Formats: sequence, C-alpha cells, structure tokens
Amino acid sequence: MATVTLTNLCKRYTGGQSLAVDDVSLDIAHGEFMVLLGPSGCGKSTTLRMIAGLESIGSGDLAINGKRVNDVAAKDRDIAMVFQSYALYPHMSVFDNLAFGLRRRGFAKTEIERRVGEAASTLGLAELLKRRPHALSGGQRQRVALGRAIVRDPKVFLFDEPLSNLDAALRVGMRGELIKLHQRLGVTMIYVTHDQVEAMTMGQRICIMNGGKVVQTGAPLDVYREPADMFVAAFLGSPPANLLPGRFTEDALQIGQCRLPILQRNAPNEVVFGIRPEDIRIGGVNGVAPHVEAHVLAVEPLGAETIVRVALQGVTPEVLLRGPRQVSARVGEQLPLSFDLASSLLFDPTTTRRLT
Amino acid sequence: MIARAFLFIALGLYTAFAAGPFLWVATMSLRTTSEISRDHYAWPSTLHWEKFPQAWFNSNYSVYFENSLVVVLSAVAVLTIAGAMAAHCLARYRFRANRLVYFIIFSAIIFPPQITIIALFQSLVQYGLYNSKLGLTLVYISIQLPLTVYILESFFAQIPADLFDAARMDGYTEWQIFWKVSLPIALPAIATTVILNTILLWNEFLYAVVLITDDAKRTLPLGIQRFMGDQLEDVGMIATGLMIAIIPVVLIYLFFSEKLIQGMTAGAVK
Repeated sequence: MATVTLTNLCKRYTGGQSLAVDDVSLDIAHGEFMVLLGPSGCGKSTTLRMIAGLESIGSGDLAINGKRVNDVAAKDRDIAMVFQSYALYPHMSVFDNLAFGLRRRGFAKTEIERRVGEAASTLGLAELLKRRPHALSGGQRQRVALGRAIVRDPKVFLFDEPLSNLDAALRVGMRGELIKLHQRLGVTMIYVTHDQVEAMTMGQRICIMNGGKVVQTGAPLDVYREPADMFVAAFLGSPPANLLPGRFTEDALQIGQCRLPILQRNAPNEVVFGIRPEDIRIGGVNGVAPHVEAHVLAVEPLGAETIVRVALQGVTPEVLLRGPRQVSARVGEQLPLSFDLASSLLFDPTTTRRLT
Repeated sequence: MIARAFLFIALGLYTAFAAGPFLWVATMSLRTTSEISRDHYAWPSTLHWEKFPQAWFNSNYSVYFENSLVVVLSAVAVLTIAGAMAAHCLARYRFRANRLVYFIIFSAIIFPPQITIIALFQSLVQYGLYNSKLGLTLVYISIQLPLTVYILESFFAQIPADLFDAARMDGYTEWQIFWKVSLPIALPAIATTVILNTILLWNEFLYAVVLITDDAKRTLPLGIQRFMGDQLEDVGMIATGLMIAIIPVVLIYLFFSEKLIQGMTAGAVK
C-alpha cells in the first residue's frame, strides 16, 4: 500500500514544441484505484511512465509514501507495470516470465515457485506454465502480464491501457477481474485509458487530462454530472453531451428558435448550453408542453435504447438524444422534445469552463 | 501443370549449375592427378580415400586447419558479441549522432578490400602485427563488423521497446537486459551472422595471402594454394584439400540452417 503524490510534474520531449505533461498535480491515496483518462496524446501515458521511472521527470516532484523518488531508478521504486502490448518475453515460458523479476530480486527458489504457483492459480494459468507466449491467446497473455505484476507484490500497480488489445467481450470480463483483483489486494493502482467506459466502471476516481494538463479529478459520477468544462462534457458519455450555443434574453435562454425558461444568473449573455442525450425526453413531461419541435435526421435503435439525431431550427450542431427501446419517430418527421433543465449545464464560450 | 514443369526445369538447371562444380571437385578428390588428366570428367574407378590422410599429414594440413579454426572462431566470437552490442545500442538508445555513427559503420561496407589492403598492410607492419594470427584475426573482425552490425541492428530495432521497459521494471540493469532479453530474442539473427561470417572468413584468401607469410601460420585457403607450384599443379590433391576445407562449413550450415532461415524471414518477435 502506498500513496503517490505528483506535484507540478512537467515533461518536455527533446524536440517537442509544447509540454507533453504540463504542471500535473495529483494525490493518490492508499489503496486507491485512480484512472488517468484522456484522448491519445494528452500526456496520460507519459505521466504514468514518469511514475514508473521509465521516463525522466522534467520538473516537479514525485513522491511515493511521502518520499521523493524523482531520482530513484525504476527497479528501486517497488512498482509493477502492465503494458498495453503485454511485453511478455517471447523466449521464456510463462513460468519464467512470471519468475523473471523475482529471480533478479534474489528470492529463494521455493519462494519463487510458491509465488508463481499462487499467482498462476488465481489467474487460471496453472495449466499454461510451460507454454511460450506465442502459444497463448490474447486473454491468456493479458493474464500472464498481470501475473508478472502480482508475483512481485509491489506497492503500486501501473496499467497502461492493458485491455485495448483485447476483443470487446474479453475486455468486459477482464474489467470485472481487475476490479476484483483490486478489492482483493487492496493495493494502489493507477490505470491509464482512453476508454471512458473503463474509466467510469473501474475508477474510484478519474483524472481527466487534455493537452498535458489535468482538466478535472473526481469520482466518476461527479465528473459525469458536473463536468468542469466543455471538453469533459464532450469527452465523457456515449453519446457525449450536446453543446449548443445560446443567448440570454430578459426571461429566457434562446437557443436557435427555442426559448428555455432559464434565468441569467451571473452568466454572460452568450453561453453554451449543455445537455446529456438522456436528459432530453420525447414529448412533454408531467403535463408541461414540450420545449421544442425538432426535425428527425436519423434513428439508431441499439436494442436497449434508441439514439435519435435531430436538428433544432437555427442551431448548427446536431442534437443527439437517448430514447426508449421503441421510438415511433421516422426520419424527416417533426418530434416534440423536452429538456430536463435541472440536469442541464451552462458553459462560458470563451473560457469553456462550466458556469455555476 | 505446365507452369510446374517449367518450375522444375528451372530448379533443375539451377541445381546443376550450383551443385555441379561441387560434385565435380568431390569426385576429383577421390582420384589421382594422373587419372584426372586422362579424363577430366570421369567417375572415380577406384575410390582413393587414402588421399585424405595424405593431404592431412604430408602437406601440413593439420596446421592450416588449426590456424583457420583459431583465427575464424575467435574472429566470429568477437564479431558476434561486439556486433550485437553495437547493434543493441544503435537500435535501442537515442543519443546524439546515433544515425551518424550507424552511417559511418555502414559506409565501410562499400569499399572493396583492394582499396584498403595496402594501408592495412602498412598499419599491421607498424604495430608488429604483420604475419601474425592475431593481426589477421583483427583484420577479419574489422572487415566483417559493418555487415554484422547492419544485419543485427535491423533485427534489434524490431524488438518492441516495451520488452526493455518491462525488464527495467523487473529490476534488470541495461547490461543484464542485453544479455537476458535482447540477445536470446535476437538468436535467429545472431545465428545468421555467425554462419555468414564463418563461411566468408573460412574461405577468405586475399587478406590472408597478403598478411601471412610463415607456412606455420597459414590458413586453409593458403594451404590449398601450396599445391599449385610454378611448374606443376597437383589437381587431385587440390581437390582433396578443398573437400577437407569445406567440411566444417557444411557442418556449421547444417547445424544453423534452420536458425538461418528464421533470421532471414525475421519479424517473428511478436
């Protein structure tokens, strides 16, 4: 168990124009499952590699259990890492892959066998110990990579997009297993992904990064409900939140031809109105007349729900809404819509920050 | 059907072209020179196996063989280790002038040996390495190193960087990573360079003939030359000598050939 503290971490690659990691500060608690989430190139992997000790730290401090480790070599940080490519040694059997790190650390042969056996039986690898990595399926390789981290019994686990090479069904299964593993080991885990579903389902906290900076850190649902800015609102959620330009009149917020009963409290005249697809209803709600009539562009039934694409008069971006299983609307028809205004979001179009 | 027939004809012609001279020399190695001068292409009527021990004992062949073995084995050993280390560094580490170093090493491949041999001769005389097995070994290392680095670098560059990172996380030093990760994974490519260097150096004649004068220090290709006098050529014994010289190369090839094919169809790192 360990705390990991990042203080104003910066990193610039040689020849890089801008900072790959720009002033990142983060406190990760004992036994926490922290997810670093962001689009590719946002600096999340570089941050993870700096924690691992695989990448030098440009400026700022990295502390594990309160001890500064900037200049401590990767092997002395007592951290294990699972790579996206699994990084299994192709010339070694599964047993040797698992034992490789233990041998270096001078464990006795019996202790190595005990630990490898234990990890192998937890991960269902006991039958495969003699095989080489090329004779394993993707899911099995993933388990070996995981096992290699587990046998070391490290203070901190790092994961660099470990599930992105698996097919969809396997990914769901492994997600559950990783959560169970975290509960069982109770160890600090830092998990990098660009997949928001992984972040939402696995993370106790999510740290969303963009352009090398931390945009927002918080519990998954808090971040989802109260995004700090337009980037987070658009990045989290599938489909993402609708962001529509609006303007305040005396008694309402005007979006295209549509007037919404929202009062201008400490907000500029021009705002961006954000609403999640699930906060848009078809028809009126509780006897209140619908807010707007929209032109249906596409209807995409997903089985459990239906995504409907509509256009509002006078509004450029398409609006997506999440409807029930059966939606009677057809392309080209007009569809009455109501917005759940209590859940709606307002953003400042110049700073992109959310307005309170 | 016709395409297959053409393929077999083409392959047959090529095999005859490649293996014919070898078979011819092999038959000559079992015939005496007088038999050969009577009919160059005849099949051996009596198999003169005694020519092999004759060549070995009467013609100083054992000494040449040992010299070749010492020079070639030590040169190949150093080439393999030094070449692999250089290739590992060039493929794995980002440092200033990495590509420049690579280019300089590689550019040495383009010079024909005749250009460098006089300067090389002078240098070896100056350092007291002329007419010594050590001198010849060093020359062999230097002429084959560029190609060795070139072959190995391209293979090392294909090894995913994550493997090295994983080994670092597992606690290994850069030096240990080279020995325990890079080298074993690159085994097919290393086998390729071992076999290539061994064959090339085992048969090497030009540098040996210029840099070695003592009979006791000659390598096999020079030993065979001894059968060619000014007046008389003992063709039968030359053939026998060639067959003796070729045996180790054939053995090495048989031993490493599977690895060689693997190395040539490289990219199997996944």
